[in-house]
Amino acid sequence: MERNSNEARRSATGTFLTLIKIVLADAPVLFSIIFLSVGIVHGLSFAVTTPLMQRLFDSVEQAVISGSGVSGVVLAAFMMVLTIILCQVLNGFHNFLGNAYRLLLSGSMRGRINCKAARLSPILYENPDTLNLINQANEGANYAIDIFDASLSLTVFYLPYFVFMFIYLYLLEPVLAASLLLIFVPLALSQLVRHFAFAQLEDEIAPLRRENEYWRTCIGNKETRLLGAFGYFRSLFSQSLQLLNAATWRAEKQSGLAELAMQTLTLCGYISVIWLFVDALLKGRISVGAFAAVFASIDLMFAIMHEVVCGRIGGLARCFGPARNFMKFLDLQERGGICQTKDTSGIRLKNVSFSYPNAAIDSLQNVDLEIARGEIIAVVGENGAGKSTLVKLALGLYEPTAGVVEQAGLDTRVADMSSLFTGVSAVFQNFQRYKMTLQENVTVSSPQAADRAIEPLLGKTGLSADDNVFPSGNATMLSREFDGVELSGGQWQRVAIARGLYRAHDIIVLDEPTAAIDPVEEANLYRQFAAIAAGKTAIIVTHRLGSAKIADRIIVLDGGRVIETGTHDELIARNGKYAEMYSAQAKWYVKDNEKERATNGF
Amino acid sequence: MGITAKCAALGRLPVFYALKLIFSISRLQPLLIIAQKLLSGLMPMLQVLAVAKFIDSALAVAAKTAPVQAVLWPLGAIGAIMLYSQLAEKLVYFARVRLVNRLRARLGERLLEKYAELAWKNLENTETADLIARVMKEPEQRLISLFEQLTGAIALVITIVSLVSIIIAQAWWAGLIIVAVSTPLFWLAIKSGKANYEADRITTKYRRRYEYLGEVLAGRDAVDERTLFGYSGALNKVWKENFEIARKIIFRAQLIWFAKMKTGGLIASVVLLLIIFALLPAVVDKEISVGMFIALVNAVFSLVQRLTWELTWYVDEIIRGREYITDMMAFYKLEETAGAAAPPATNVPAFEKLEFLNVSFSYPGTERQILHQLSFAIERGKHYAFVGLNGAGKTTITKLITGLYNDFDGQILLNGRPIREYDQRQLKALCAVAWQDFARYQISFADNLYLGNVNTALSSETDSVAQALATLDLQDVVATLPDGMQTQLGKIREKGVDLSGGQWQRLALARFMLNPASLRILDEPTAALDPVSESNLYEKFEHISRGRSTIFISHRLGSTKLADHIFVIDNGSIAEEGSHDQLMEQAGIYYGLYESQRGWYQ
Repeated sequence: MERNSNEARRSATGTFLTLIKIVLADAPVLFSIIFLSVGIVHGLSFAVTTPLMQRLFDSVEQAVISGSGVSGVVLAAFMMVLTIILCQVLNGFHNFLGNAYRLLLSGSMRGRINCKAARLSPILYENPDTLNLINQANEGANYAIDIFDASLSLTVFYLPYFVFMFIYLYLLEPVLAASLLLIFVPLALSQLVRHFAFAQLEDEIAPLRRENEYWRTCIGNKETRLLGAFGYFRSLFSQSLQLLNAATWRAEKQSGLAELAMQTLTLCGYISVIWLFVDALLKGRISVGAFAAVFASIDLMFAIMHEVVCGRIGGLARCFGPARNFMKFLDLQERGGICQTKDTSGIRLKNVSFSYPNAAIDSLQNVDLEIARGEIIAVVGENGAGKSTLVKLALGLYEPTAGVVEQAGLDTRVADMSSLFTGVSAVFQNFQRYKMTLQENVTVSSPQAADRAIEPLLGKTGLSADDNVFPSGNATMLSREFDGVELSGGQWQRVAIARGLYRAHDIIVLDEPTAAIDPVEEANLYRQFAAIAAGKTAIIVTHRLGSAKIADRIIVLDGGRVIETGTHDELIARNGKYAEMYSAQAKWYVKDNEKERATNGF
Repeated sequence: MGITAKCAALGRLPVFYALKLIFSISRLQPLLIIAQKLLSGLMPMLQVLAVAKFIDSALAVAAKTAPVQAVLWPLGAIGAIMLYSQLAEKLVYFARVRLVNRLRARLGERLLEKYAELAWKNLENTETADLIARVMKEPEQRLISLFEQLTGAIALVITIVSLVSIIIAQAWWAGLIIVAVSTPLFWLAIKSGKANYEADRITTKYRRRYEYLGEVLAGRDAVDERTLFGYSGALNKVWKENFEIARKIIFRAQLIWFAKMKTGGLIASVVLLLIIFALLPAVVDKEISVGMFIALVNAVFSLVQRLTWELTWYVDEIIRGREYITDMMAFYKLEETAGAAAPPATNVPAFEKLEFLNVSFSYPGTERQILHQLSFAIERGKHYAFVGLNGAGKTTITKLITGLYNDFDGQILLNGRPIREYDQRQLKALCAVAWQDFARYQISFADNLYLGNVNTALSSETDSVAQALATLDLQDVVATLPDGMQTQLGKIREKGVDLSGGQWQRLALARFMLNPASLRILDEPTAALDPVSESNLYEKFEHISRGRSTIFISHRLGSTKLADHIFVIDNGSIAEEGSHDQLMEQAGIYYGLYESQRGWYQ
């Protein structure tokens, strides 16, 4: 227990220190200095108003009692109003600078996140824990900035204000300084109560709200509409609304009553402070001016203290968790590795097993596979057989859990990413639809040599920039969101193929590259693949078994194991899984008079 | 213009529309809130009177011209005002919660009903879909905050007016000067608040862009391509550029915003100065008491801070709220389709014949013609197939038959009557669709099935249910579920069980089977399946659909062979039609498509 709390403390201070280091590294010095100075002056300007006001009121009282004229009063009035004006200007300026500062920091932190993400191993995105860290990094960065911002405001703005007020009140009458405590204690207490009252409130309501939102989306589904199922979902919607309302009322009533109690407490603090001053006034220990000036400032003191206790400190507790996650994200293990040079060999998997993080079973088990330089391999198998996992291991994106993967002579667990991925390209199953121009969508695969023409590749994949699909040619933005055009699934797939081919490669992986393309074009594309891949190592993952015939060798995966390998003819002859799958597909395309023969044949 | 006409015109103003809406849902609670706000607007004036009295009596006590008891009642009044200011809001808070709950329930349901009745095009058009999403997102919060900003702004005006009237009562000429000087200044301040949106609009474009790039640079979706292609460095530069552009625009905009906001505070400071100087001679001449002078200065001083933030905030928020109400009014004006939300009609003649006569169609707001002079006829009891390349308009045909869209050119005749003469209830009863993007309702397994026929009470004992389960091999799935047919599916509710993709698909098809409609359309419901599972399914469907009218839509030709009549769609019209054998003999497009797919299996 002891150790745990120590650890928590250490990591909180650790979080804070790392944060300071990052900010010091990223924030411009001059800007920081200006920001800090404005903060201090701003805090003091608020505080100074009170004694200046006292001076004004005292001089007015003097003038009235002694009839000494208004010249002293005019000076005091001028000074006070000028301070208030200054105070307003500083208030605006300080808040403005604060926003600008936050934005600046937010930019540099997000830049850090982007750079960090580039050095992470892709497998971290398959692990729910690390994925969570990554997904929340941006949000965490904002919280980290909040913490920094809050601590900065506490030290440069609030602290000077309260120190000044303390001294002022103490000088007026030592006991009056206690009023700061009378303001602080009820607020701090109510903050504590609020913390407990609200803790489970959101937890209870969030699922109900999500449910209610879900029923609404059901009603916006065309199937619901055509089934006439509106009534069904409407009653679910209404029920969940009622539950939501009941839960909201319960929670709000509870917290509302707590708040009411706390407000009463604050009121007591308020009245005690006023009583202190009334008492001092009636006993003649402070002047009417001092009383009135402080009376005018009580609201402000409460407001500022409220901001400190409830806004800043209360907010800090909420911020530390996410901010720590941000730090953890920055500390995530990077892929690293050694810079090595490739030789001319192919790809070799030796007794490779692989399981995804937190997965109970291996996605691949004891896979042995050797792909020679220049060989074309087809990988087939049912959904979930491990095809995509296999190619990601062969590419070196994932490192094997057991066994060794060698790609062009480099052990994928030893070499660094830039050595590994030189001369390697791919068209992934979940290829990206970049909201960028056509040109950028293709050349993005080759950031080092992005100035080559893309037209030849577009032609090969059946796209043409002159087409009326691309009103601005290569510069056409491929996203309606950014004022461009929307492509069909098939067109996108061709763009993805062109992208994969644009990158200089000796090894290429095509993972279901034609799923969204119609049959005639598909046939053409596979012929193109065969031509393009000539002399290069290629792995093609495909559902359409017929297309596997262009490969030199076919690998059949089932349940994470390689169960058959061989040429198309060999596998048909073996009459195993491949033959079974093939005949199931082929029977649709056998001419009627051949049907009988074909079904008997296998 | 008569009074009623005037009222109607007023009702078209967003702010009045909102008030009308709120009062149509609840009366007591909004009245309570208004009463509390208005009273709180009067509090500063009452406080001035009490404080003035208190200070004057305290001075009298000090000068020994009055007994100590004289301070008691003003002190009591100050206490009462404080009590009200601190507690009234918290008490009215309960009324607010009630009001929000009512708005959530009533308004939520009203909007939902309108949503369900909307013409389908509104849900698929990006612009109207955005509008709908904006309007339906927490409408109760938007309304209540508009309501509070309005009442808050009125309270602020009351505060200002009541304070000025005190000043006028004390020295009318001083009051007049203040009103004369400050009115145009405040008008300016309010006016400038309206300009704040411009910068926000400009930066949105850049913000969306860098947010998107940030997603590519650190998100999960792009991780494979990002890692393999190594474009992070290059893309991060583009990200930085976009971020910096947005940052600089925001920086400038905020500078202007803060400057404008603070003009309110500066104006108030100047007014404060004016008040002091205007009242000084009167104080010294004892026309105004010292207490009144001090109390007024105090009141105006506390107004300074409120005016800068609150005034701008009210103006901003009310504008935002007004935009929301304008959206809501536009939402209510969206076109509806009669019967869109209703269950299928029960007394509909069976399907006999469907004819498309020279039908042309393009989606609203787009230029591309999806269907072009399309003509075909479908008769009862036969199987039809629509084949064609991606983007040829196959799914659009389904949307026209089901009446989701009806703004086409040409004629569609259903059983000899124009389809536009049918209302949605009848069309729902006439045709059933299995969509490619079928619904995965997160409700019980049983309800998922029963929604297929909402007009009939079904149970697991019903023959048709048993048959559907058997046909799609779903009994095994039901057997593995913890609560059998009653098991909640999906993650929306606690204890929900998720199905695999293939299981969901079979469930959707079973639901489709239960639909009693006499025309059945299968719109590529198997696109996500691997080819073996797909071919099995089609065979089954051919079997169970004997005697019914069926339309298969697919780009995988093998399965469409089962149809009696095949339509080949090319560029939005029928290019070829006939039986499989006829089309093969024609040696046209179909022959080419079929041969190219068959080619893989020879």
